[in-house]
Amino acid sequence: MSKNKSKLNLNRRNFLTGTATLAGIAATASVVPITIANANHSEGTKGLPDFINWKDRDALIVHSDKGIETHRSAIGESLITPNRNVYIRNNMPTMTDTQIGKRNDWKVSIEGVKNPKTFTLGQLKKLGHTTMASILQCSGNGRGFFEHKVRGSQWKTGAAACVMWTGVPLMAVIDACGGINRDAVFMTSSGVDHEPTGLDPKKAMVERSVPKQVYQDAMLAWEMNGVPLPNAHGGPLRMVTPGYFGINNVKHLGKVAFTTKESSVKYMKSSYRISPIGKKGSQYPSCWEMPVKSWITRPTDETGITRAGKVQIVGVAMGGTRKVRSVKVSVDGGKSWKKAKFIGPDLGKYAWRQFVLETTLSTGRYNIASLASNGPDKQPELRMENRRGYAHNGWKDHSVNVTVV
Amino acid sequence: DEAKMKKGLEIFNEKAACAACHILKAAGSEGNIGPNLDTVDGLTQASVIDIVTYGLGVMPAFGEDEILTEEEIVIVSFYVANSVGK
Repeated sequence: MSKNKSKLNLNRRNFLTGTATLAGIAATASVVPITIANANHSEGTKGLPDFINWKDRDALIVHSDKGIETHRSAIGESLITPNRNVYIRNNMPTMTDTQIGKRNDWKVSIEGVKNPKTFTLGQLKKLGHTTMASILQCSGNGRGFFEHKVRGSQWKTGAAACVMWTGVPLMAVIDACGGINRDAVFMTSSGVDHEPTGLDPKKAMVERSVPKQVYQDAMLAWEMNGVPLPNAHGGPLRMVTPGYFGINNVKHLGKVAFTTKESSVKYMKSSYRISPIGKKGSQYPSCWEMPVKSWITRPTDETGITRAGKVQIVGVAMGGTRKVRSVKVSVDGGKSWKKAKFIGPDLGKYAWRQFVLETTLSTGRYNIASLASNGPDKQPELRMENRRGYAHNGWKDHSVNVTVV
Repeated sequence: DEAKMKKGLEIFNEKAACAACHILKAAGSEGNIGPNLDTVDGLTQASVIDIVTYGLGVMPAFGEDEILTEEEIVIVSFYVANSVGK
């Protein structure tokens, strides 16, 4: 067995670590037994992996142990998605308590500023404090509707959540560092969750650049819906880039740098690029701003029998980087539309709004769709075809067929 | 098929080193970089061939980057598709 393992590690190094950095990494790779990486990932007691055994199994669709989706009807009917229902999408294994250590001692360095500094989480807590709602949505949410057999988890609507984050405004951290360098063009956030794996950072580090101005509304979050940020969601500290796809909200945050160029790691350069089917490359747009989108959460086939008579059609609508302005609902597959009513509190432009349309349905089969607008943009009818099935906001695929009896 | 399974296991453990990154109970592998293969829904030989050929995220493109031959990819994918959940 030990012979096998050393062979495995050798092979893994050949493929996944760069030779230039091999001297440093080889030692790590060979002394990190695979079983340690596996320690938090054994099977839990209820059909979920151990590291998220605290989640609500009934609310979730398990695509794999690292790709877990929220049921359409379980994203939270009171606006915020409860942590136990929030989807899981991990590029790297979730860090363990042992790897993280004392949470207040977690370090994040700030670069590309006048006075680069490293702060502990404890120190960050003294710099500022804020709470903000924003949507976390995987770039590939809706991939399951594409028809060209896209690689990756076949998400429908549930790789999305509306979350209340608590942390420090990035602005306060920048102020403490004397301001951003004038030549900066991008804000580049780096995770450290690849480190325990010993893999080559160029291939494994989740490092994401977004346009610099994102810093204005960004925050470094240590709480999620009122509890310390769970490891599975990037604890103890993650970047929150409101209005931007999930991947940019870097987990297990180790560095924020204001840079003149985009990061050159694989997760920036070649992954998460929206390219035509059959084409790829860094010349195509990265998964940055989320587009306007909405979907019905109830009634669906999941929520049981729909009886004829008065029906409440409920859903969520988001504006992306702008405030969502209106949403219309159709019960006849888009032939006619009625304006739905926004309900519940408005938690700001980065949160979604709940909507409801009260209507009367007789027995029969209905195709129920929703169409949101943020002013300049509204949802298209059809998906934008692309190689990896990213950024789907077409209303037709997101509609539901409901039988009323 | 027995020969293909044997050869597939060998590629899984050695040349491709799938075992370094993936759990697959039948192979006794415990890697935890990529998904646990026993838990991936809708996994077929065709889907494994596709992902092994082109890679995904940190997973190398074993076909495009010529780490494995087309034949080896077919065999290891046959092995994985016929081993999951066992």
